[in-house]
Amino acid sequence: MDEMIRSYIDELFSEGPKTRKAMDLKEEMAQNTIEKYQDLISEGYQQEDAYQRVIDSIGDVTELFRDLEERELFLLPEEERRKKAALKAVSVGLYIFAGVVFLLSMVVNEILFHMKPGIGMLGVALTVLVCIPPTCIQVYVTHMYPDLCKKEDILTQAYREAAGARKQDRGIRNSLSVVVWLLTVTIYFITSFATSRWEVTWIAFLVGACLQAILILIFSLKKE
Amino acid sequence: MSITSDILRGHTEAIILAHLLDQDSYGYQINKDIMKKTDNRCELKEATLYSAFRRLEQAGYIRTYWGDETVGARRRYYSITAEGRQAYQIYKHDWEEAKADIDRLLK
Repeated sequence: MDEMIRSYIDELFSEGPKTRKAMDLKEEMAQNTIEKYQDLISEGYQQEDAYQRVIDSIGDVTELFRDLEERELFLLPEEERRKKAALKAVSVGLYIFAGVVFLLSMVVNEILFHMKPGIGMLGVALTVLVCIPPTCIQVYVTHMYPDLCKKEDILTQAYREAAGARKQDRGIRNSLSVVVWLLTVTIYFITSFATSRWEVTWIAFLVGACLQAILILIFSLKKE
Repeated sequence: MSITSDILRGHTEAIILAHLLDQDSYGYQINKDIMKKTDNRCELKEATLYSAFRRLEQAGYIRTYWGDETVGARRRYYSITAEGRQAYQIYKHDWEEAKADIDRLLK
């Protein structure tokens, strides 16, 4: 019968938040309810009657869940928030720098080379290259620091670490993909303009796709 | 009878503090004491009891710890803090005043 009480309480909590506070409360509730049940049995109650009585006395738990939930959703801790803000500031700065690089390359081309297309392309390529780090930072930040994070004591330590590691993996993997593709585009344009062999250079994209697949493979192999 | 349980609900926190003055206790034990003192007329719903525990904990009036029972499930005990004792005294004083007022009004 203890198991029946436990599974009833499990059922109640399946709707509730999955925090350590909630787990503690569930344990506390199960212990108190079972002790009460045993007292009723020793007073001479029939099993079914005792079970019904202890279940009835639990009452409405939705109010309790609301208490637990409000504290669960919380802004990022101060330190993480600062890190996120700093990373975002750096990436925006780099984007602006990329714009400056582009304009400068145009000016230099105009003055020194009288708008040679090859030099112009080099400027574009340089700009794209400068854009790589901030893009990676953006991708990483989005995956590592969601706006609302669940507060510290969610579930067990082990689960938290596993979830954190997964999130970090995904962040790194997405950053890698971005790097590969931006590099591919850059190389494509540079080689195309340098050699004027447009009918061949598109192969760069196939190589890029291959490279990405290989990188992901290496990444997941290393993880194991 | 219904008057008592209504009033009881409004004073759940003070009743818990009163029960913890002399010794640490846990949810079911407190509820059992309430039933005994009221000749089985009053019993708190567990949900009411637990949300009162959480509020008291947040206010710093009680502290909680897990017992070290070797057989069966572990009990979650509560103990009153110095702030809790102070809050109880203030509460008790307020209640005495309110009771006297109501008595006068109902006479």
